[in-house]
Amino acid sequence: MLVMKKLSKIYRTENIETHALRGFDIHVREGEFVAVTGPSGSGKTTFLNIAGLLEDFTSGEYHLDGQNVRGLGDVARSRLRNEKIGFIFQSFNLIPDLNLYHNVDVPLRYRGMSRGERRDRIEAALSQVGLSSRMKHYPAELSGGQQQRVAIARALAGGPRLLLADEPTGNLDSQMARSVLELLEEINGRGTTILMVTHDPELAARANRNVHIIDGQVSDLVHEPVLRAAAAPATATP
Amino acid sequence: MFTYYLALGIRHLRRNPILTALIVVTLAVGVAASMATLTVLRAMSADPIPGKSDRLFTPNLDNRPDDGSSQDPRPPDQLTYRDAIALKNAKPGLRKSAVMRISPVVAPSRADVKPFFGDGISVHADFFKMMDVPFIEGGPWSEADDARGGHVVVLRESMAERLFGDANPIGKTLRLDTYDATVTGVVSDRWEPLPRFYRLVSGPPPFRGVEDLFIPWTTAIANQMQPQGNVNCFSDPPPDAPPGYEGLKQSECVWIQFWVELASPSDAPAYKDFLDGYVAEQRKLGRFPLPNNNRLYDVKGWLDVNKIVSKDTRLQTYLAFGFLLVCLVNCIGLLLAKFTARSGEIGVRRALGAPRRAVFKQYLVESGVVGLVGGLAGLGLTFASLWFLRKQSEEFAVLAKMDWVMLGITLAVAVLSSLLAGLLPTWRACQVQPALQLKSQ
Repeated sequence: MLVMKKLSKIYRTENIETHALRGFDIHVREGEFVAVTGPSGSGKTTFLNIAGLLEDFTSGEYHLDGQNVRGLGDVARSRLRNEKIGFIFQSFNLIPDLNLYHNVDVPLRYRGMSRGERRDRIEAALSQVGLSSRMKHYPAELSGGQQQRVAIARALAGGPRLLLADEPTGNLDSQMARSVLELLEEINGRGTTILMVTHDPELAARANRNVHIIDGQVSDLVHEPVLRAAAAPATATP
Repeated sequence: MFTYYLALGIRHLRRNPILTALIVVTLAVGVAASMATLTVLRAMSADPIPGKSDRLFTPNLDNRPDDGSSQDPRPPDQLTYRDAIALKNAKPGLRKSAVMRISPVVAPSRADVKPFFGDGISVHADFFKMMDVPFIEGGPWSEADDARGGHVVVLRESMAERLFGDANPIGKTLRLDTYDATVTGVVSDRWEPLPRFYRLVSGPPPFRGVEDLFIPWTTAIANQMQPQGNVNCFSDPPPDAPPGYEGLKQSECVWIQFWVELASPSDAPAYKDFLDGYVAEQRKLGRFPLPNNNRLYDVKGWLDVNKIVSKDTRLQTYLAFGFLLVCLVNCIGLLLAKFTARSGEIGVRRALGAPRRAVFKQYLVESGVVGLVGGLAGLGLTFASLWFLRKQSEEFAVLAKMDWVMLGITLAVAVLSSLLAGLLPTWRACQVQPALQLKSQ
């Protein structure tokens, strides 16, 4: 689904070069639920941004769903983002003056779908996150957990192959976080690949694969027992 | 997608309402200032007789003496009596008319209306067809009346009502100075060519005053009516010249305006040749001592040489558009602030699949929507400014009027201005780095 080889990302200012990612190799298979962990400044978000085609990379290779993305123009990258990738952000990033229906409608508008098809998809997506009865509500009228559910519905409406989640539960209390995570697991269960950046070991432990990033380099901790053990007490905490 | 962007633009008017209101007011003030002055300029420089202005000509003949007394390169702007008669009787020209302003005493037959000085012009019967004058009753007098100096008169609609009330005035008589004149026609009050190009020389300003009555020029001459305008004499009359009005008729004084209608604008050079030929013939008789310096102006040329649109008016318009430019620069700043505040939304849209060009279109349409609202507000302010101008003088009362064309221009200027002002902020909006915005939300 997602293959990066020897990928690097360097931020340059006049005097300083910062290597956010260096020699970054990763292969995420279709249907995986991958948790990406690492200390602050390690390059997690840069990795997610590059994976989501929101940023360009300096060198290396990146294939998304079999397509080499290097050298793609803005329109092609935008189309790929729109058709194959869904985003979930820590701060939800709903558009405040659009109601839920129109928020979920945003990615579908750029797909050029008919009104009927958009309506069906919006209703199905909001129904999937349990908010079909609140389509006319505005984000400010919802709780944080509900807003994140709307963001998930928006990400799902376009039928993405890859879901990128950046600290999706970072702004939620534990109960809401659990409910959002269950929703993500349900989505993954239906075959959508999920890449989730998190600081929370409990969340990381529930993913079926963990990727740890340190200093812009990746160490793959598939089913790492130590990490699971570390996460266990946290799971028991109410 | 346009309707989607339009709906978003309308919806986002409510976002940052103070900022939106500032943009709308700034734009409205700039539009109103520029459109109010443009309305006046447009009215001043309008074609007073569209479709015919390139076929109506006024000849100027240089009959000044060769004594170096006048340094003006332009010949006199009126004709002598003799030249007016000669040009009227000459073959070239489809229709021809002398024009002389008069102010006879009008003594109505109604006992309840006291005698008064009427404002009028004496012309030939051709004048009415030449100038497309619309009649609501009757029509012009006949050429026979022109020839014999008939006692006939054409009234303006409002004057006819004043003199005869609701009664049909055709065939009725009224006393003009020393004779009774029969009404042959009534001209609609709607006939108000602006500027009044046919009698620009001396007299009331070109945008003020209306002619209440029209009489045959030959009748005015026969009754020795005084011309209500400049009589310019460039030399002393010869010692044997008769005194009074007869002397004026035989003098080299200019006091008569003259208009000729040609079948086509392309006939103008031939008519000019005719004028030069006429002057050459007259030179043999001892007149026109200066070399040929005759001019033939069409309506537009005549308005230009008479500087109907003053430099001050043009300067005012330039200043008003300069002010609009200043307002636009302010709008650019305000739109930048408005769009920058929405960087987060732009980041989200980009992440969800909007290419830069989609963001560009959306925000440009939004600028247009703001411009349309600003234009509507500007239109209201323009109407208010024009109303205020109309109260200032009789001249502005006829000039400061909005028509459908200016209404459309006002809205178009507002929308185009806002699109122009929106270009930079929109371009900046397209440059938003989604990754940066999404993390900083």
